[in-house]
Amino acid sequence: MVGVEVMRPKLSDATDTGAFRTFLGQFRKNRLGMLGAVLVILIAAIAIFAPLMITHDPIRIMVGPRLAAPSLDFLLGTDQLGRDTFSRTIMGGRIPLLVAFASLGSSLAVGLVLGLIAGFGPRWLDNLLLLLFDTIRSFPSIIFALAMIALLGPSLASVILVIAITSMPIYARVVRTQTEALRSSEYIAVERSMGAGTTRILAVHVLPNVFGPLLILVSMDVPAVIAIEAGLSFLGMGVRPPTPDWGAILNDGYSYINQTPWLVIAGGIPIVLATLGFTFLGEALRDIFDPKLRKDL
Amino acid sequence: MKDIVDPLSRRAFLKTGATLAGGIVAAGMPLSQAIWAAEGKVLKARSTIDPKTFDPGFYNYSHEVDVMDCIYSKLTRYKPGSEWGWELEAAEKIEQVDPTHIRFRLKKGIKFTGGHGELTARDVKFSFERVIKNNSPVKVDWGSLDHVDVEDDYTGVIVLKSPFVPLWMVSLPFAVGHIVSEDAVIKATKDGGTFGTKPPAFSGPYVLADWKPKQYVVLARNPEWSGPKPGFDEIRILPIEDAKAAERAYQAGDVDFTSISLDSLATFKNNPPVDTKVEEYQTLNFNWLGMNLDHPKLKDVNVRKAIQWAINVPQILDAAYSGQAAPATGIIPPGIVGHRDKGLVPPEGDVEKAKEFLKKAGVADLALAIDCTNDSTYSTIAQTVQAQLSQIGISLEINLQDPGSFWTLGMESEGERWKDLQLILTDYGALPDPYYMTSWFVQAQVGIWNWERFRSERYDQLAGEAVTIDDPNVRAKLYHEMQDLMEDSGAYRFLTHRGEPIVYRATRMQAVTRPDGYPLYPDFMAV
Repeated sequence: MVGVEVMRPKLSDATDTGAFRTFLGQFRKNRLGMLGAVLVILIAAIAIFAPLMITHDPIRIMVGPRLAAPSLDFLLGTDQLGRDTFSRTIMGGRIPLLVAFASLGSSLAVGLVLGLIAGFGPRWLDNLLLLLFDTIRSFPSIIFALAMIALLGPSLASVILVIAITSMPIYARVVRTQTEALRSSEYIAVERSMGAGTTRILAVHVLPNVFGPLLILVSMDVPAVIAIEAGLSFLGMGVRPPTPDWGAILNDGYSYINQTPWLVIAGGIPIVLATLGFTFLGEALRDIFDPKLRKDL
Repeated sequence: MKDIVDPLSRRAFLKTGATLAGGIVAAGMPLSQAIWAAEGKVLKARSTIDPKTFDPGFYNYSHEVDVMDCIYSKLTRYKPGSEWGWELEAAEKIEQVDPTHIRFRLKKGIKFTGGHGELTARDVKFSFERVIKNNSPVKVDWGSLDHVDVEDDYTGVIVLKSPFVPLWMVSLPFAVGHIVSEDAVIKATKDGGTFGTKPPAFSGPYVLADWKPKQYVVLARNPEWSGPKPGFDEIRILPIEDAKAAERAYQAGDVDFTSISLDSLATFKNNPPVDTKVEEYQTLNFNWLGMNLDHPKLKDVNVRKAIQWAINVPQILDAAYSGQAAPATGIIPPGIVGHRDKGLVPPEGDVEKAKEFLKKAGVADLALAIDCTNDSTYSTIAQTVQAQLSQIGISLEINLQDPGSFWTLGMESEGERWKDLQLILTDYGALPDPYYMTSWFVQAQVGIWNWERFRSERYDQLAGEAVTIDDPNVRAKLYHEMQDLMEDSGAYRFLTHRGEPIVYRATRMQAVTRPDGYPLYPDFMAV
């Protein structure tokens, strides 16, 4: 049986200053988590302030010689169209982050609503939604993404939509499981007997309980989404040219690796740093907020 | 068990190993080559496309014909080397009796596999006529073929409705000239229609041993082949669409023969991989930017001319081919009858003139889309065109397509996508006769291979006339006018005929190609 005390949300405690200090103390002790936080803040800052940092127009061709090596004018050299690789790399960070937040944000919102409906609604609707979640999950993500993009055509919106659809069932399933467990708990029964409606129960008792695990899941998913987005762009199925994007830069680099290694370096290293940063940060948050999940994983 | 283990004692193993190594060293053979010799002679080559058919009467791409050359016989074939010409293959003799009659006599003893008997004049008649009777999309390759008269088992006469000069360099030595077994094809298809990817019988030096779509084609020696023994026991062809990916595959040892991008030519020449030979060829391919005349945004000829004049071809070639390719003046390359010395629009274009055309069209904030394959070269060309058109205020969206999807875009038989086509970056392979380059743009090809939907009565009339003329100078004039008509329609901006560098491992083979660098696999020799 799930007791009231067990299910009390820890996140709500964290609003206390003391709890926040405890969190910070625990976080500081996690060196990889700190490194992750620094990387994430750095990458986010670069993405936000990118237009102020670039040295050339990232889509303008022939601003320099083709496939030039790094120099003072072109800090990371130029690509096959004579575009400044440094400026493209700096601007290229915006797309993966935009895709990650837009797709995970929308899948989180839809997953939350569908999970609540499945967990709190009638049994037939629960079964129907579970079937839907399992059907989507049964497709390998990258194959599903390639098929969808072949249908919709490559674009930023297609990538966001595909990632949102493939991520949603995980969140919905987690919410549904948590909601179902809470639904039969004693304190919800007491709330009901006191006349609380479904909306109040969901908003006041269920949502705060499911939100913590969801946030941890999302933070763990960000690196995977960055990798998927870069992978799709690498395959020419992501953003359309000439939009700067790490995956697209990596693809150009692959094509011209015989002539210059700088494009691969410029496209590859940010992807590695971003995925590492979000992974370290997500793991640190998981360890602090939900050590049980760590054991389970 | 003991009997098996005892002879392989450590001492015996070392002794045998030392003897083998000593033998190899004594023979002056590098170890890698010795291992290669022991593996059997396998030619690993790259094709730019995944074959969609092995039926020569219904081929789609030139690289499918590379396989057909290995598994079927034809009356004549292209001469290997640097000069275009033909020589006898299955025919013992072939002669032009008069402008519309060509008599041939077959070599005796060429067998079809699977017990389908000897290759006879009846098979020749069946193979050639089925292309016309079944309304093949490539029936244009047979021009004015009427029928084939069979005189006896080995002799026949090809009868044309009207003189057809390209027969010698297009029809006979290329795809539709391959001879299939009437008996086998009728058994497999009932009506003699296409057998697609399941050839019912073979008559060449190799047979199709295995084919996995998108993975490989494997050809093995034909045990019933009575001609000269081919150089390799097995040919393994891997479809690798992107030239840059093919270069990586070559460097990794996955393939031993491939064409490479012009862009990488200098790198391969200056720093070639071990034991590699680099050879350069002038292709007959033609590469252009097309515009769909039926699209509402491109109906106005001034819009099309604005695009033509806004495009700076040398700049594109610098970006995509490192300046190693020359601008094209039309669809007919240098050295072929009908090549124009210059086009109507200069290669560099003129941005101011382009703006004037756009002003005349009264169009502002025009947004267009361009479709091309997702190959790195075409992506680069498309991005350069995008930048050039932005100078006259046209924004361009780039749709990079998988080749399988791209090559059906303009075909009416494949759905409604042709209606949405606006600008298209295309590259067609060609053969050494202007008929082959120009035949795709007649009105009958609209919605098949004429994706610009260019229609001109005059063009069709000239096309019909040009194939009947023997005199190259008179013929050339007609082809000049045809290309003028194409360019003047505004639907075409000719880019280049590029070039075809190839690389191969000289310690494994002596590659044999046509003058345009296309491989003639049956002639490859193992080293």
